[in-house]
Amino acid sequence: MGYKLDWNDFRIFLKNLSSDFQVYAPKRFPQQGRYSDTDCIRYAKIASADEIEYAQKSTYPAKEVLQPINETVMYFVEGKYIEAKEADERPYFIFARACDINAIARFDDIYLKNGHFADPLYQKRRQKVHFALMQCPEKGWDSCFCVSMGTNSADEYGIGIAFCEDGVKIDVKDTAFEKYLAPLKASPADFSVKPVSENIVKVEVPEISSKEIQQKIKSLDMWHEYDKRCLECGSCTLACSTCTCFTTVDITYTPETNAGERRRIAASCHIDGFSDMAGGHSFRPTAGERMRYKVMHKVHDHKVRFGHNMCVGCGRCDDHCPAYISFSTAVNKLAKEVKRLEGERENG
Amino acid sequence: MNKDININQLRTNCFRQSKIPGEFMLQMRVPGGTVDAKYLSFVQSIAEKWGNGSFHIGTRQTFDITGIKYESIADVNNYIAKYMKEVEVYLCDVDMEINNHGYPTIGSRNIMGCIGNRHCIKANIDTTSLARRLEKEIFPSHYHIKLSIAGCPNDCAKAHFQDFGIIGVTRPIYLKERCIGCGRCVKVCTKAATRVLKLVDHKIQKDACCCVGCGECVTACPASAWVRPNKKFYRIMIGGRTGKQTPRMGKMFLNWVTEDVVFGVIKNWQKFSDYVMGGKPEYLHGGHLIDRAGYDAFKKVILDGVKLNPEALVAQRILWSETEYRSNFNLKPLSMHPVVPPRD
Repeated sequence: MGYKLDWNDFRIFLKNLSSDFQVYAPKRFPQQGRYSDTDCIRYAKIASADEIEYAQKSTYPAKEVLQPINETVMYFVEGKYIEAKEADERPYFIFARACDINAIARFDDIYLKNGHFADPLYQKRRQKVHFALMQCPEKGWDSCFCVSMGTNSADEYGIGIAFCEDGVKIDVKDTAFEKYLAPLKASPADFSVKPVSENIVKVEVPEISSKEIQQKIKSLDMWHEYDKRCLECGSCTLACSTCTCFTTVDITYTPETNAGERRRIAASCHIDGFSDMAGGHSFRPTAGERMRYKVMHKVHDHKVRFGHNMCVGCGRCDDHCPAYISFSTAVNKLAKEVKRLEGERENG
Repeated sequence: MNKDININQLRTNCFRQSKIPGEFMLQMRVPGGTVDAKYLSFVQSIAEKWGNGSFHIGTRQTFDITGIKYESIADVNNYIAKYMKEVEVYLCDVDMEINNHGYPTIGSRNIMGCIGNRHCIKANIDTTSLARRLEKEIFPSHYHIKLSIAGCPNDCAKAHFQDFGIIGVTRPIYLKERCIGCGRCVKVCTKAATRVLKLVDHKIQKDACCCVGCGECVTACPASAWVRPNKKFYRIMIGGRTGKQTPRMGKMFLNWVTEDVVFGVIKNWQKFSDYVMGGKPEYLHGGHLIDRAGYDAFKKVILDGVKLNPEALVAQRILWSETEYRSNFNLKPLSMHPVVPPRD
């Protein structure tokens, strides 16, 4: 059922919702951008509809709600441990775009379906997630390529929402949310979220037919370009909607005690130390190798295991890279190289 | 050539004497070194109509137009009235009369500035805006003052060589919960700044007292764990100068002060100059005035009525270090020592 709400009614709707849900949305943090007098947009718990930054794409993705950058999972002392308590046990209501919702499905692959093991911390939260699917501008933003990745629409949402000049349009898909609208004078409207049907950026995902081609990709010249251009800062992976990696760290409160806590901290294949092994060996010492690893993971490896590509085409990696390295450009380059390799193989 | 020209008056009107007889160079003010590109047509017109067709980008970021004949100066002054009105009065809100006599004074020199955060990824402040707002505090005044505004401690604007050098600094806030402990800020601070960060247990420890306030950690952080506060902070260098006798780099006078403090200090500059020179402006670098009065007297006058913000730090003493172009330059008979004139 579709409705049209003026902004004030939307405020009340969200307030009603907030009594039962912890509401997360992209929020503008003024002056907190990388450069001075620029803003940062990231996910945060909101108390009012006015805090939602809906006009611009967020710098950081929705994943931070379910997998915070830092998290204490347990406290330990003398061989005993206590699980960390959730500050807020209420279900989540998350304002997200189609790419974001598809990205959480990729998180499900890794956290719930990988190696026959479901991560209990993630699972507990995931069961309580409800999405508000936010409508995007007609073509998304200039770095988006969701259409190429097939992630321009999403099924898992409680309500669909479009922000207009004078209010919002809402499509209540999950009737459980009707009751929050009931006390309001919402006028019925014919509305459902219109998916982006064409992006400015188009990406051709490489079709890799064999292990042999996959091996050859490793030694392609194209990766060397990133040895010089990439700063190895990891900004792309922090901004990535689907990068799930974390590292586990035990910290004792003072060097003399054995009381401390275990933390999960976001980790990145682009940053030194990620693939360090006991004995000092590191798998991918160069930036080019790291770029290759990430690209292959996003547009090939994940699909082999889970049936769909990991990358959802949100373009945040491109937006956040301080060195103007474009992931989508890299994928297109790779697709071209793969075609060449496939051709060479056929021609023998 | 037989001309009776008052070159002192012309100099006051920002026309500099040329080695070519009867020719002068006009110096047009460009506060902060930034104006709309449309004003280049003024420069072109003057250069082609009255000058020798070329112009120099002044070392203090003025538009310098060479080869102007003495006879043309009245026409040029008439022509630049519009530029002065638009740039000084409209853009910078300077309280001055616009007439056909050209620039009223050369005393307070053009405020220099780097490009600042309207463009630069390193800058912490909008240098152009600050220069335009400071212009009305110093101009038109016959008291000499050289000001430059740098967007960050990299100091491309050479704030270290001015009477007052204003440097935009930041006091980054550490959002611990966003830090992934990658150590990139540590690397960048070590390489580009003052090595005040270290990684301990996947978190950052900071030696705050030695932080230079550049904001490199903010720019470097992939997770926005370092962010700039909403409040802008400034450092003020004083007493820097170039020159034939005793050039020296300025020293830090104030650190972590707010814009209100910057304005308070600059507003007091005339009072201090007046105090040292007994009401008779002469061309002396600020550093000489500070030397003459002594740092303690300078500090007292320049901070008079200025409300320092809680973060502000003030130099207790200043240990100048000069290049003396003649050894024992400062050793001279007592009668040659300049002094502050007695007050009534």
